[in-house]
Amino acid sequence: MHLNRPILNILILGVILATIPWLGLSAFWLSFLYIILYWSVLTLSWNVFSGYSGYFSFGHGAFFGIGIYTVAYMCGQLEHDFLPMVALGGALSGVAGVVLGAIVFRVKRVRGELFALLTLAVTFIISTIVLNTPIDGGPGVYLNSVQVPKIGPNSPATFYLLILILFITALLISKLVSNSKLGAALFAIHDDEDAAEVMGVPTFKTKLIALFISSALAGIAGGIHAVFVSYVTANEVFSINVPLFVVLMSILGGARHWAGPALGALVITSLQYVFTIGDNALFGKMVLGVILILVILFKPSGFLGNRAKKEVKNDAKKIAESYGVNLESVHPHTETYFHVDHKSSNHSSHPKERTHNPEHGHHHWHANPEILLQAQDLCMAFSGLKVLQNLNLEIYRGEILGLLGPNGSGKSTFINVISGHYKPTAGVLSFNGINITDLKAHEIAQHGIARTYQIPRPFANLTVFENTRLVASFARNISLSAATPFAIEALEKVGLQAKIDSIPQDLNLHQRKFLEFARALAAKPKLLMLDEVLSGLTPSEIQSAIDLILDIKAQGTTILFVEHVMSAVMALADRVAVINYGQLLAKGDPQEVMRNEDVITAYLGKKLEHA
Amino acid sequence: MLGGLYGLIGLGLGLSWGLLGQINLAHFAFVFLSAYLSFQISTTFGINPWWSLILLPPLFFVLGAGIHATIRRFKITAFNSLLLTFGITVIIDALIQWIWTADFRKLESSYSNSKVEIFGIYFPYAESFSFAISVICAGAVYWVMKKTDMGKAVRAIAQDPEMATAYGINQKFISMCLAGFCTALACVAGICVSLIFTLNPSQLYTWIGVVFAVVMLGGLGSAFGPILAGMLIGISESITMVFIAPSWAPIVSFTLLIGLLLFRPDKI
Amino acid sequence: MLDIKALQVSYGPAVALWDIDLHVKTGELVCVIGPNAAGKTTLINTIAGLNRATKGNISFNGKDLTHTEPHLFCKHGIALVPESRRLFTNMSVLENLELGSFLSEAKSHRRESLERVLDLFPAMKLKLSSPAGSLSGGQQQMVAISRALMARPKILLLDEPSLGLAPSIVLDMFNAIKHINSNGISVLLVEQNVSLALDIAQRAYVLEEGRIAQEGLAKDLLNSPTIQKAYLGIN
Repeated sequence: MHLNRPILNILILGVILATIPWLGLSAFWLSFLYIILYWSVLTLSWNVFSGYSGYFSFGHGAFFGIGIYTVAYMCGQLEHDFLPMVALGGALSGVAGVVLGAIVFRVKRVRGELFALLTLAVTFIISTIVLNTPIDGGPGVYLNSVQVPKIGPNSPATFYLLILILFITALLISKLVSNSKLGAALFAIHDDEDAAEVMGVPTFKTKLIALFISSALAGIAGGIHAVFVSYVTANEVFSINVPLFVVLMSILGGARHWAGPALGALVITSLQYVFTIGDNALFGKMVLGVILILVILFKPSGFLGNRAKKEVKNDAKKIAESYGVNLESVHPHTETYFHVDHKSSNHSSHPKERTHNPEHGHHHWHANPEILLQAQDLCMAFSGLKVLQNLNLEIYRGEILGLLGPNGSGKSTFINVISGHYKPTAGVLSFNGINITDLKAHEIAQHGIARTYQIPRPFANLTVFENTRLVASFARNISLSAATPFAIEALEKVGLQAKIDSIPQDLNLHQRKFLEFARALAAKPKLLMLDEVLSGLTPSEIQSAIDLILDIKAQGTTILFVEHVMSAVMALADRVAVINYGQLLAKGDPQEVMRNEDVITAYLGKKLEHA
Repeated sequence: MLGGLYGLIGLGLGLSWGLLGQINLAHFAFVFLSAYLSFQISTTFGINPWWSLILLPPLFFVLGAGIHATIRRFKITAFNSLLLTFGITVIIDALIQWIWTADFRKLESSYSNSKVEIFGIYFPYAESFSFAISVICAGAVYWVMKKTDMGKAVRAIAQDPEMATAYGINQKFISMCLAGFCTALACVAGICVSLIFTLNPSQLYTWIGVVFAVVMLGGLGSAFGPILAGMLIGISESITMVFIAPSWAPIVSFTLLIGLLLFRPDKI
Repeated sequence: MLDIKALQVSYGPAVALWDIDLHVKTGELVCVIGPNAAGKTTLINTIAGLNRATKGNISFNGKDLTHTEPHLFCKHGIALVPESRRLFTNMSVLENLELGSFLSEAKSHRRESLERVLDLFPAMKLKLSSPAGSLSGGQQQMVAISRALMARPKILLLDEPSLGLAPSIVLDMFNAIKHINSNGISVLLVEQNVSLALDIAQRAYVLEEGRIAQEGLAKDLLNSPTIQKAYLGIN
C-alpha cells in the first residue's frame, strides 16, 4: 500500500545517518548535525500537537525544560543513571502536559491566542520555581560528571546517535499520527472543533493524547540535551528561544506536512550557524524575525504546505480509483440515485407534491409508531433569554418530521440541543430508550444522531473524501480504513464522487450542502437532522435533494428537518410540528396543521384591523 | 508607584486588544525601543529628557498606524497577527541589542536622584512623574472615550464595525489612528522607563507576564482599569519580594494571569 | 428617489441576488416580502452600503452610489435599522442615539432630532441612561428606529422589524413606521409578517430565491393565492 513507502524511506534515512560517526568527521560536524536533529525533534514534537490541532503553544520550553532539569537534578545532583533519568524526564514532561491540558481544555474560551499566552505564562512560572528551589537555585547545574553509556566511537558520536534515534522516532510518530485516526481528529479540531465534537470526535481526549506525545518527546530531547551541553541555567533553558524557534521552524517548513518541521529546523539551524560563524548572531536574529513576518504574510502554510495538500488529494484519488469510483466530471444534480416515477422537474418551479399514497411508507410507521426521540419539558435559556420553553415533542421511528416555525422561534436551537451542542437548562431528552440529556456531543453522535448545518461547516483543509470518512469513522466507532467504503458509498449516493479529492473551498454552495448530506449519511445514523438544507438551492437542485431525502428514508433512517421551502415540506413530511417562541404550537398531518388558525397567524401575522 | 507604570504600558496594550481585537506583542518592544531612544537622545544631545516627550510620540504614532495599515492590507487571521507582532518584537529586540549592546545603560539626568515631597513623604522624582503621567493619560483616554463623539465612535467600532460604518463612521481610518495612538502610549511609557530603570535588553520579556496580567485584570479597553490593576499587582509583588524572596515576584503576576485565563475568560 | 437596476450580489461564488429592479419614490412606503433565505437581508444591506454589488447599479436622488465607500452611504441620507436591531449594547440608549447623529450635518440638529424621537417613543425617556443591552426586544427596536431617525435620513431601511417581538408590540411598531412615513420619510421595509407589511405599504415586491418574483400594489398582493402558497404551502 502507498503508506509504506515514506516509512521505509524514514528508516533508510535513519540507517544512513547512523553510519556518519564512523566516517571520520570532526567533532564539530557531529555537533552541528546533532543540533539540527535536536531542533528537529523539538519542532516535530511541537507540531504533533500544536501544528496539527491549531492550538499553538508558546510553552514548549516548559516541557523541554522539565526534561532538562529532571536529568540535571537526578543525574547531576543525585547521581542517578543517565538513560533511565532521560526516560523519567520524558515521562514527567508528558504528565505535565496532560495535567495542563486537563485543566485548560475544559475551559471552552481558552483557544487560539489565549492558549498561547497561557502556555507562555506557565513556562515563566516553572522557570521561576526552578530558579528558586534546590533544583537549580540560581547558579545552574554542572553535568560533566554524568556517566554516559558509550555508543559509537567517541562522546559526540554517542549524543549524535542518541538524538538520531529520537529523531527517527519523532519523524515516524509525526508521519504515523498524520495518517491515523488520531491525526484525522486533530485536523478536524484544527478546522472546526465544535463541528468535530458534534460529528463524533472525542475532542478532549484527542487533545490530551496529542499533548502527551508532544511534551514527552520534548522532555526526552531535553534530557539528552542537558548532558550534551553539560551546564544548564534556568535563564537559558526557559528563555524565549525554544518557543520562538519551534514555532518559526514549524511554520516555515509547513505545519501540516509530517516532515515540514524537520525541514524548517534544517533551514533555520543552518542559517543560524552561518550567522554565528560570521559573528553576526544578532543580525541573524533580526533576519529570523523578518523571515517569520514574511512567511506569515506570504506563505502562511510553509514550504511544504502545498505539498501536503497535494499528497492528501492524491491519496483520496488513489483510494477512490481502487474502489472503482468514476472520477469523470459528472454534473451532480442530473445524477440522481433514486429513479422516481414522476418526470424530473427541471422546468417546474415547485417540486411535485406527493399525493397521499399509502405505499409511500406511510403505513410503515402507522402500524408501528415506535418513539425514537422524545423531548420532555425541554427548556433552553441563554443568559435569561428563554429560547425553548417546556417543549414536548416525539419523533417516531421511520418518519419524516418537518419542524416549522417563523424566524427566531427556536428550531435551530432545538437541533443544537439534541445534537449536544448545548446542554438543556431543564427537561429530558431520550433517544432509543437512553437518556441523552447529559451526554457529550460526540457520545450523542456515536449513539446514532447526525445533523447537517444550515450554513455548511465542512473541515476546510480536508478533502471531500476525508471529510466524509472522518465522520463515518468517528460516528460509527470504527477505524479509518473500515470507514472508507462507507464514505465512498455515501459520496456516490449524493453524486459528489467526481469531487472526491477536492477541498470544500472549490465546491459551490449546492455541492457543499450535499457534502453535509454525505457526511451525515456516512455515519449511518438512526436519526438524521437537516437544518434548512434547501435554502439557497435552485429548483432543480431542490428536487434532487428531495429525491435524496426520500431515498434515505427508504433505507430506514428517521428524519427531522427544519425547512422554509413550504412546497418541499408538503412533499416530504409525514408529520409536521410548528413551534413559535420556543413552544409547540401544533403538530400532526401537514395539510391540517398548516390550516390551523394559530399557525396561520404565527406565519402571516395578524392584520392591523384585528388589533 | 511602579504599578502606575505597569498600568501605563497596559493601557496601550489593553486598548489595542479590547478595541481593535489585536494582541500586540510588539507593544513591549516599542516601549523598550522608545526607552533606549530617549536614553540616546538625552545622552547624545545632553538635553532635558522632557524633549523626548514631544519628539518621540508622533514618530511612534506613525509607526503604529503604518504597521496596522499593513496588517490590514494582508487580511491575516487574528492569531497570525499575534505571531507577526512576535516577529516584530524579535526584530526590535535584536536591533536594540545590536545598537546598544547588552550592556546596562542608565539615563543619567538631573532627575535621577531627586525627590519630590508630597504630604511629608519623599518620593523619587522619576517614579512620581511616571505615575502622574500614567494617571493623566488614563484620565485623558477616559474623558475622550466617555465624553466625546470620537470616543463613542471608537467604542462602537469595537463592538460592531459594520453598524458603525452604516452610520457614517470611517472605521478603517479611525482604527488606524487608534493603533497609532496605542503605539504612542507605548512610547510615553518607554520614556518613563528610561527615567527610572537601568536599561537592559533581556528585561523586555520579563515584563510581558506582568503587563498581560494587568491588562486582563483591569479589563480590556478600559482606561483606569489597568492603572488600578497595575497598582494592585505592584503592591502584591512588593509584598512578595519583602516577605518571601525577590526572585519569586514574577510568579505573582503569572499565576494571576493563569487564574484569570482559566476562571474568568469571559472577562476578556 | 431610490433606483436599483439589474442588481446582482454574490458572496464569493454563490450568487445571492439576481437581476433586481426596484425603486422607491419620494415619500413612498414600499415593502419587500419573501420566504426565508430569499435574500432580503442581503438586499437591504447592499442598499445601505454594507455589501458590494457585483453587477448593476444603485442610484439615490440622482447620484450613483454603486461604487461609493460604505461609510459614505449614511451621508447621502440612507439610514438602516438592521435585522435583530444591532444596537451598541455596551453603551447607553442616549449614546446610541448620539451615534446615530454622528455625521456633522445631523449633529448640528441633534437636540431637535432627539426631541422628535422622544415624542415618537415617549417610553424611551426613562431609559436614556440605561445600557442598551438591558432593554427588552420591543424597547430595543424603538431605540434602533430612533437611532436611524437621528441621522435625519431621507429614506429609512428596515430589516424585519417584527422579528422576535410580541404581537402587540409589533402593532405599535408598525403604527410608528406608518407615522414616520407620513412625515415625509420614504421607507423600504423588508418583512416576514406579510399581513402587516402589506397593510401599511403602498407597493410591494416579492423576493424569492434571490429574484423579484412579483411586484405590484400592496392591496393586490394581499389577496393573491401565490402568496398563500409560498408561505403556507397550501392550495
